[in-house]
Amino acid sequence: MNTLNVIAAAKAPVIDYKGISPLFAIAGGAVIVLIVALFRGRFVQRVLVPLLTVGALGAAIGLTIWNWQTGDSKPIVEGALSIDTLALGLSLIFYASGLVMVAFAWRSVALRESGSGEFFGLMLGSIAGMNILASAENLVTLFVGIELLSIPLYVLCASEVRRETSLESGLKYLVIGSVGSATLLYGLAFIYGATGHTDFAGISSAIGDRVDITDPLLLTGIGLAAAGLAFKASVAPFHAWTPDVYEGAPTPVTAFMAVATKTAAFAIILRLFDEALVTVQVQWAPALAALAVVTIIVGNVGAIGQNSLKRMLAWSGVAQAGYMLAGVVVGTKLGLQATVFYLAIYLFMNMAAFGVVIARERVSEHGDGMKSLEGLGSASPLLAWPMTIAMLSLAGFPATAGFIGKFYLISATVDGNWAWLGVMIVIGSMISLVYYLRVIAVMWMNPLKIEVPGLRPRREVRPVAGWSPEADPRRQPEVLVVTLIMAAATIFFGIVPSPLFHLAHDVGTSLSSLFT
Amino acid sequence: MSATAWAWLVLAFPLAGTIVISLGWRALPGRLPGWIGSAMILGSFVCAILATLKMQDAAPDARHFSSTLFDYAHSAGLNIGMSIYVDPLSLFMALVVSGVSFLIHVYSVSYMASDRGYSRYFAYMNYFVLSMLLLVLAGNIIILIVGWAFVGAASYLLISFWYRRKSAVDAGIKAFVMNVIGDVALVIAAFLLWKNTGHHVSYTGIFAGAKQSFSHDQGTLIAACLLLTVGAFAKSAQLPLHTWLPDAMEGPTPVSALIHAATMVTAGVYLIARFHPLYEQAPTAANITAGIAAATLFFAATCALAITDLKRIIAYSTISQIGYMMVGVSTAGYDGGLFHLMTHAFFKALLFMGAGSVIGAMAGIQDIDRMGGFRRSMRFTYITFLIGALTLAGMVPFAGWFSKDEILGFDVHRGGYPLILAIVGFAGALLTAFYSFRMVFRVFHGDAVPEAESLERGELFHGEHVNPMTGEHEDTDVGFPGAEHHIAERELPMKFAMGALAVLSVVGGIVAIPGVTDWLRNFLDPTFADSKFINTQPTDSASWIGLIVGAGIALAGITTAFVFYIRRPGTTAKLIERLPFLYRLFVNRWYFDELYDALFVRPAATFGRFGRYVVESAFVQGTLVGGATRIVGAGSALARTVQSGYVRTYAVLMLVGFGALGLYFLLQAT
Amino acid sequence: MTVHLSIILFLPAVAGLVAMFFPRDWAGWTLVTGSVLTLAYAIVMLARFKTGGGMQFVTDDNWISELGIRYQLGVDGLNLFLVMLTALLWVPASIAFAVRGWDRPHLFAFFMGLGETAVLGAFMAQDLGLFVAFFDLMLVPFYFLVGMWGGEDRVYATTKLVIYTLVGSLLMLAAAVALGVMSTPDGGHISFSFATLAQHPLSAGSQYWLFLLFAFAFLVKAPIFPLHGWMPDAYRQAPLPVILVFSAVVSKVGVYGFLRIVLPLLPQASVHFQELMLAIAVVSILYGSVLAFSQDDTRLIVGYSSIAQLGFILLGIFSLDSKGGQGAVMQMVNHGLVVAPLFLIIGYLAIRAQERDSLDWMGGMAFRAPVLAGVFLIVALATLAMPGSANFVGELYILFGTLQSKIVYGLVASVGVVLAAVYMIRFFQRAMHGRAGVHAESRDLALGPELAVIAPLVLVILALGVYPNFLLHRINAFAPVAQNAAQVALKK
Repeated sequence: MNTLNVIAAAKAPVIDYKGISPLFAIAGGAVIVLIVALFRGRFVQRVLVPLLTVGALGAAIGLTIWNWQTGDSKPIVEGALSIDTLALGLSLIFYASGLVMVAFAWRSVALRESGSGEFFGLMLGSIAGMNILASAENLVTLFVGIELLSIPLYVLCASEVRRETSLESGLKYLVIGSVGSATLLYGLAFIYGATGHTDFAGISSAIGDRVDITDPLLLTGIGLAAAGLAFKASVAPFHAWTPDVYEGAPTPVTAFMAVATKTAAFAIILRLFDEALVTVQVQWAPALAALAVVTIIVGNVGAIGQNSLKRMLAWSGVAQAGYMLAGVVVGTKLGLQATVFYLAIYLFMNMAAFGVVIARERVSEHGDGMKSLEGLGSASPLLAWPMTIAMLSLAGFPATAGFIGKFYLISATVDGNWAWLGVMIVIGSMISLVYYLRVIAVMWMNPLKIEVPGLRPRREVRPVAGWSPEADPRRQPEVLVVTLIMAAATIFFGIVPSPLFHLAHDVGTSLSSLFT
Repeated sequence: MSATAWAWLVLAFPLAGTIVISLGWRALPGRLPGWIGSAMILGSFVCAILATLKMQDAAPDARHFSSTLFDYAHSAGLNIGMSIYVDPLSLFMALVVSGVSFLIHVYSVSYMASDRGYSRYFAYMNYFVLSMLLLVLAGNIIILIVGWAFVGAASYLLISFWYRRKSAVDAGIKAFVMNVIGDVALVIAAFLLWKNTGHHVSYTGIFAGAKQSFSHDQGTLIAACLLLTVGAFAKSAQLPLHTWLPDAMEGPTPVSALIHAATMVTAGVYLIARFHPLYEQAPTAANITAGIAAATLFFAATCALAITDLKRIIAYSTISQIGYMMVGVSTAGYDGGLFHLMTHAFFKALLFMGAGSVIGAMAGIQDIDRMGGFRRSMRFTYITFLIGALTLAGMVPFAGWFSKDEILGFDVHRGGYPLILAIVGFAGALLTAFYSFRMVFRVFHGDAVPEAESLERGELFHGEHVNPMTGEHEDTDVGFPGAEHHIAERELPMKFAMGALAVLSVVGGIVAIPGVTDWLRNFLDPTFADSKFINTQPTDSASWIGLIVGAGIALAGITTAFVFYIRRPGTTAKLIERLPFLYRLFVNRWYFDELYDALFVRPAATFGRFGRYVVESAFVQGTLVGGATRIVGAGSALARTVQSGYVRTYAVLMLVGFGALGLYFLLQAT
Repeated sequence: MTVHLSIILFLPAVAGLVAMFFPRDWAGWTLVTGSVLTLAYAIVMLARFKTGGGMQFVTDDNWISELGIRYQLGVDGLNLFLVMLTALLWVPASIAFAVRGWDRPHLFAFFMGLGETAVLGAFMAQDLGLFVAFFDLMLVPFYFLVGMWGGEDRVYATTKLVIYTLVGSLLMLAAAVALGVMSTPDGGHISFSFATLAQHPLSAGSQYWLFLLFAFAFLVKAPIFPLHGWMPDAYRQAPLPVILVFSAVVSKVGVYGFLRIVLPLLPQASVHFQELMLAIAVVSILYGSVLAFSQDDTRLIVGYSSIAQLGFILLGIFSLDSKGGQGAVMQMVNHGLVVAPLFLIIGYLAIRAQERDSLDWMGGMAFRAPVLAGVFLIVALATLAMPGSANFVGELYILFGTLQSKIVYGLVASVGVVLAAVYMIRFFQRAMHGRAGVHAESRDLALGPELAVIAPLVLVILALGVYPNFLLHRINAFAPVAQNAAQVALKK
């Protein structure tokens, strides 16, 4: 057995080029973008580089679909990477948010200041990291992925080099992020020490076989790993960096982090806990459940009374992470599917919200402040509606994808005998109403002249904050279009969720180790 | 046509009248609405007669027909038909009601002639007659309750007819609410009967069921009967639910005559007569009813002695007279009770009409202290009023003499408990005779007041527009009593109506002269054939003795009044000095209003304020709601403070996290 | 398998959507057209409804098979008249909206249409998941309607309204999911269809906590004391057409839920908590009535009176007696039918009293407004359930049912009947009778829209008063549902 392993390790790894092609597309794209960007010239900077980025992402998406195949994971780089529907499905979300980021960043200050080549190159690099992370089947590749994911993001956060808060956020993210990585690495080392394996399959087979499931070394390792990943997924009490970094970072980057990074983090959490460590579920489930509860409460409570939309969204992101963590805790196929489903719709509703924030902050003197949305309902419904839909969906109203997502998560928790976690999700949603509805109220219900018949005191007209012809969202069509698409998707999947369910279902087939 | 078909027509006429008048209120000119209304009532009176004749064709024991138009409510074990029940009792009531109503309509045609709400008035009046006829003809207890509530609503509308007067509005809501209390009692009674008599609501079904399922004087049955009594008392203004009737005098005088004297208030008597099988099966309930009724008749008479508002005196006399009827029907003296109901309808309507005429002459003033000497100036009114008073007093040979003493005679004959009631009744009779002539002497005799004199000079007095009750200034928009209302002397329709009633009051007794004519008893017997007292009737000689005693008492009362007010005026003043306490008790109507105010009205209002300002503020403004929000708010404040932006704070937070996780897993491990 | 219900269901929303693309002045009338068409279609349905024919016009289709939620609609004796009520009352509401100039009429029309669809959906749904979806969806349009066109404190009011009700709805969401998952036999495919759920009753223990969650949601919606905290603000702030339908129709969804979901699916719990619910109902009746006659704001009088009325309905439901149930359903319809004209009247009064809702600004209005007074009188008497009105029959059934199963509660509740007389007559008198209010002008209903809107409703009230059996013998189909719980009661 042991000798066999040695021999296997000695051999050059078998590489499935078809399977790895999406990764190549991204990585190659990054390189090309960086090289092309060396040529100065407006056309290159403004058009060519973004187009190449889009091309790379598009190619990756195409290749991913080409690779699509349900069932057990098949290795692509033997012992290091393997693809299955979980990896592929989630990487689709990375690519999508990458595309969205291109649109959002196209006119952004960050792009101008840091140069589009660097910006997009870093972004693609980060996506490559996510890709590796998602398809890692080995503690080492896991860590490589994490770092490859994080380091470009640190830079991206600081890419608005002339704005102090941007730099601060980058620095903060770097410091705390590396603490997180260190913790994670530490934990992974413990796990390896306990089981003597770095590949997930080996670990899960070792546990319960040679390693007792109450082995202190193993459990400490799990604890530290959990903490490290909790950073990336901004799970309380390791969420503290989130609001500051989100607020400071250039908004397109924030949007990207909010969706892609969180998805990647959950990808590896699912991988690690529901595949490698599934046999010790009895041990870690309560701990993660506790984390989920804390996260839901802290996130929702923190979001109340925030006046910066980005901060508010950051906190709400924390809360949402709590909901999804509940899906992980259950540790059933249904839980996995619900989590993936929620990640997918999270892309739509969050991107719609951020799109509006970007469109507004560029023209309103209130920046990303709540005030910048005042009177939007009558001033530019094209922006008000996506925001409204996003908020309703995040709050979990019916006819939006958010409702289905919550329904799915709750049924998963109840089905896995974690009903009280379901109730926690519900309670969280109650609290969340306060701040989600506030946004809607600000947009639609602020003092405007309203023809209330008769004597009811007339309401004075106030000019919409920061409103001016330049503020017409049609001046930045790419943002508007993306935002509208995302909002439309939120509604569409709220009424016709089946496509997403098929995705979730395929993903569900990947981790065969889970009980149905 | 069958009797029931005629009976349906009896209902159809006033219904048509209501609809026509209320829809055509704008189109109908002058007195036309009045005439339409009267015609309709005449129509239903005629139909009632025809129905009666038709019914008399049947054999005595077959003189009850019921007819159902459609299912009113039929599901879940409840089967209520829109049905009527025709038998001597219901037709007797229908005749009295439609007959008297017709006369009062005619009277109103000119009495209300110059009132703003002329057609509104007649729409209400027709609606009332419809409801009253529905009440008496109803074929099951639920439809009875419908009619019961309808008359209540009509009475409410007519009481606050002059709705700009605060006094009228308050009187209205008072009357309505007290009537609703009665309705609710009836509903619960209906439930008890429905539940225990094999799920029947029709009279026949209930009685048949009650015979089998109730033992003699069984508790549930007593409860049901007492609930019926509550309903009856609320409608008939018996103790302790009487306080609304005196205030109801706020309505136009013909209304007082029709609703609050002749018909509606006697509905309670009809109710008990209608449910007599149950009362006979539950004597306890019957006795309680009779006892309270007797107390009422005496109490009301005492009030009538002291107060000085002409209409309210008559109102209290009404309460007292209904007490007699109640005593009659609840001690199984059905013929007597209903006989008195009929004669009372005649003479009390007559008295009210006379009073109305006088009040018209006084330009709205109703205080007998300010009246006097109308004898010469209002001859016709005087004579008719006098006839009414004599009948009320029970003087030979007027109708009241026969009817009242038939009740008392019957109770004397039954002996025992009824005998005591009869004695109370005789005492009441003395007071009755006295206060009825107190009215006569003080209104029509003595020195003529300015109004009377001006009337003698041939011009109608027009007083200042001030509400004598409250002193508030009258509002001429809507109208108010007195202001250019008409007096009998000048209006033929009024003369006609009063004359007709006067004649009836004189000769009305003829239908039941003991031993000579027992028409009424023979007519009603089919209904009460099942009564076990059907054959316990005093011998003719006994009845005659009773009548003579009654006449003596009446005479005594009248003479006393004569002495007090004509021979030695001022005697009353001395009496008042002698017995100030008694006087205050009577004049304040035994403080019932004050009592209820303290017991129900104020507490309810207080509770309302408490709820509005204390409880609501807890549930709506805060504490409960606010509590939750405040906790959340505090939480978010905490979160924001922790979110200081300094990495060191975050480091601490993380360490906490690490510590917790590590600790947990280590505990797991060991 | 028919599409009729789907047409009725989505017609209003479509109309609202279409209105968005019409010129401002047409928006209102487009909505009116939509609601009239809906009503017409609903009347056809009523005509073709077979009494006692069980579930009819059933539409059953996959919606989210993965979650076992089906698009399943149907009409039976229980929801038939509630659907009719919704279709009927949206017409006056939308007319009341159309005849007045509002800001942003397109949105108003859209949300009104969406609201009708949501309510109809909640009434028609035969699948728990679908019901929950529509139940929550209802809130969205009303959140905007109150928040955008309401009075001065509209934002506070609407936020309170939505949070209150959504707290309930979310708890219900959890309960619904739990109900579905727990009653799925192992290995069986999860289903939320009422019919299926009824076949797999849960253990009494789990029924209890599910009952509490559902009850909370429904009681808040109604609202029933002490969960009515949102009511005063919402009633005071909401624009008239909105509060009209909200009070007349939306408030019924809650109590309807008890009959459609709680009694059939959680029978043991219903029996177990019967006394509790009856007590709540009685308290609501008394409390609501007493507050109704200590208010001066006309909207609040109606608001608190609704609390009392819904208390009666709750009483009937939890008498767990077929008569009580019959009466409850009937009373839902009747109350809707009287509250709608009441709010129209409040609107008319406000116009004549300087746009004030307070009784202090009114008085003596009957003088030059006999038609208004007459209409108001009829509605008021019907509201206080005077015998002769359909409301009386409904209350009679409720009282009979309650007296039979739990006589004490019935007796206490009957006090509420008297109190109802007090507050309604007081309301009528303070507005119509007495001295003329200083600023109150006495102007009769204009023969145009004013009368046209309210007259049909009054005629319906009168017609049902004469022939209440029209409702009763169709509602009959419902009896088994209440019996279901009643039988459990007997078994105990």
